[in-house]
Amino acid sequence: MKLPRGVRDAAIALGIIIVFGSLAMLLAGVNPLDGFSALLIGALGNVQETAETLVQTTSLLFPALGIALAFRAGLFNIGAEGQLLMGGLLAGVLGEQLTAPGFVTIPILLLAGAVGGGLWGALAGWLRARFAANEVIATLMLNYVAIQVAAYAISGPLKSAGGAGYETGELPAQSWLPTILPDTRLTVALILALALAFFLRWMLRSTVVGYQLRAVGDAPQAARRAGIDLAKMRFWTMAASGAIAGLGGATVVLGVLHRFNLALSPGYGFIGIAVALVGELDPLWVTVAAFVFGILQNGAIGMQAAANVPRDVVTAIEGLIILVLAGRRIITRNGSD
Amino acid sequence: MPALAMRGIVKRFGDLVAIGGVDLELDPGVIVGLIGENGAGKSTLSNIAFGAFAPDEGTVERNGIVGLVHQHFQLVERLSVWENVLLGREPRKGWRLDVAAARARVRELGERYGLHVDPDAIVETLPIGMKQRVELLRELEREPAILLLDEPTAVLAPSEIESFFTTVVALAERGIAIMVVTHKLAEVIAYTSRVCVMRAGTIVARYETNQTTAGELARAMVGGEIPPLSERSPLPRQVLPILHVRELRARTGSDAIDGIEFALQAGEILGIAGVEGNGQTALADALAGVTAYDGTIRFREEELPDSLGPRGRMERGMQIIPQDRHHEALVLDWSLAENAILGRQGSAEMRRGQQIDREAARTFAQTIVERFDVRPPRVDLRVRGLSGGNQQKVVVGRALAGTPKFVLAYQPTRGIDVGATALVQSRLIEARNAGTAILLISFELDEIFALADRVLVLYRGKIAGEFNRDAFDRGRIGALMAGHT
Repeated sequence: MKLPRGVRDAAIALGIIIVFGSLAMLLAGVNPLDGFSALLIGALGNVQETAETLVQTTSLLFPALGIALAFRAGLFNIGAEGQLLMGGLLAGVLGEQLTAPGFVTIPILLLAGAVGGGLWGALAGWLRARFAANEVIATLMLNYVAIQVAAYAISGPLKSAGGAGYETGELPAQSWLPTILPDTRLTVALILALALAFFLRWMLRSTVVGYQLRAVGDAPQAARRAGIDLAKMRFWTMAASGAIAGLGGATVVLGVLHRFNLALSPGYGFIGIAVALVGELDPLWVTVAAFVFGILQNGAIGMQAAANVPRDVVTAIEGLIILVLAGRRIITRNGSD
Repeated sequence: MPALAMRGIVKRFGDLVAIGGVDLELDPGVIVGLIGENGAGKSTLSNIAFGAFAPDEGTVERNGIVGLVHQHFQLVERLSVWENVLLGREPRKGWRLDVAAARARVRELGERYGLHVDPDAIVETLPIGMKQRVELLRELEREPAILLLDEPTAVLAPSEIESFFTTVVALAERGIAIMVVTHKLAEVIAYTSRVCVMRAGTIVARYETNQTTAGELARAMVGGEIPPLSERSPLPRQVLPILHVRELRARTGSDAIDGIEFALQAGEILGIAGVEGNGQTALADALAGVTAYDGTIRFREEELPDSLGPRGRMERGMQIIPQDRHHEALVLDWSLAENAILGRQGSAEMRRGQQIDREAARTFAQTIVERFDVRPPRVDLRVRGLSGGNQQKVVVGRALAGTPKFVLAYQPTRGIDVGATALVQSRLIEARNAGTAILLISFELDEIFALADRVLVLYRGKIAGEFNRDAFDRGRIGALMAGHT
């Protein structure tokens, strides 16, 4: 029986996790059942760990939603990592300086994050629209540019008194995102991410803009002949996609680290590709997939401690999922014009 | 002994029974025509005869090598004629190619079959008729006892068709068993000895060609009478043209137009006749606003710049029926209702604030479904699951809804069955009667003769001739299509 592609993707991802994970554990001399149970206990064993899993879920969900939006328009945004970093940079640098009350600074700083990521995404969108530059290459390369730009900015022109060469000083406490569970790092960012997921789902399914965006992704030549401006739609979609990733970067700065750090993302923008694809590019299922990957991310630490399985096993699994799912889509893409 | 004998052939693709029990024999020296509508199973059957597909049931007995000439040429454009003809069977001298022997072999084949081609010519520089010779030579090089020709004349001009069949008849006289798969009844009547009619995966009728007529074959293909087209009302008195094209130059890929002029008035169908690749796509893309062009397009007393694009054209009352319904017209994974409003997605009737008005979309789709008899009549089904004819009804219905001022119809009945063709053509005539101006670009002369009030012949990007309906001359138009003056 032929399964729909989304279901197949989810099955492939689950298969990779189980088969490849078991193999790696066997090689490390660990019974896979012990390894996986250590992973689950590490991720969901108590309130503290569950909250930390949800923190990881949130940080993955923002870039994954941005990526899903771009993919729906036929744009393979591989640059969420760089967009997230630029969003975080702008929020961090600005946040360190702002001293107003939180209800003023937090919205401004979240917006700054969206602007930073949005500009970075728009740059790739502009290259595509203006020079027909392949957005896979452009967004991928801009990731490296982003890290260099950020490193230069915080060690040079934007260096603050409290900052080190690799991070800014701590943000004033009133600009921290409020937690929703006491004594954990779980903040309102989770609620914001969930609200965004629901909004995007409604936007894609019900609105005129969503209809046009999907048309550009599913049948660009038909969309063009139906009067939809492909270049414009692609530019704004890349900008929006980057803005969502940048917003995610800002929530990490405001909610988790309370400062900008060059290493603020352990690859959320890349793992987000796998999250988006496993979630069938549907914001609702992307949210579910982000939770599964959140378990992997957080459970890896517990697994390493309890079962002595290197957490790099999880990194390798995630990489393999990206390779298989994204590689297949990019190779078989037919949305060229 | 037959050259090829197929007995009890059954072929399934998933749940679909493509071939449902076919017996067919091909005899040396006999040309058999295999006709049927799109989807009747002709191509599947010829692929089974060739050996590309294995049948699920039944046997194929081949007494000799089978050659197959495809509808779409299977040539390496950048290579020379001899390299194409001998690809994979190159003569060798030690570890080197024996180029002299290769050239000699191709010349000798050309002499023997009367198919003269320069062995060193690069294929991409050859005209289409010559390319087909190369394709045929490549198959003949293997000394086949059986030759299968799949829609061999689809891209040929009328004069090239004649010379092609002269060759085919000569090959039969040499004792080769030949099967021609086609939907062109005139060719079957003129050149075959026997004819088999396929419908829904089985052979429903067999005739000695000299005992039958094109009308009888058409009825056998469709399984009944062909519905008559709508009546045409008399052309309104000559008024100011609604569309006026001057000095138009444009290019889409290798397809180009070079200085085209014509005018079109309300309530008129202007046919553009010509062999594929003579500028039709460039003309269509320029009019649709999806490519840059030089020259002027005046529509309803207003000049349309190429920067206006499809959106502005639609707002002014233009609609298009694109050539490639799968890529240029439909989003195959969307529902019929979502596809029906494509092009109207931003209009006031189809939106409620920022949202798509789903009820309005369904109602609009329902009117198309009813007026065009789309089956199944369900607006929530994915269009991917519809037959080609029903998909095309959606595309045409969408374009004709609300009586537009002008419709560009590019191959509006390409690859769809006879019933759907008749329905689409009737609706085009009715739109014309209601005052819509229609530019009909078609590679099928029969379609142009059935619909057009006037015809222009397009040859190498220029207009080679113009005929009014009362002066249509098939021979003359065919000659102009082939570049004769």
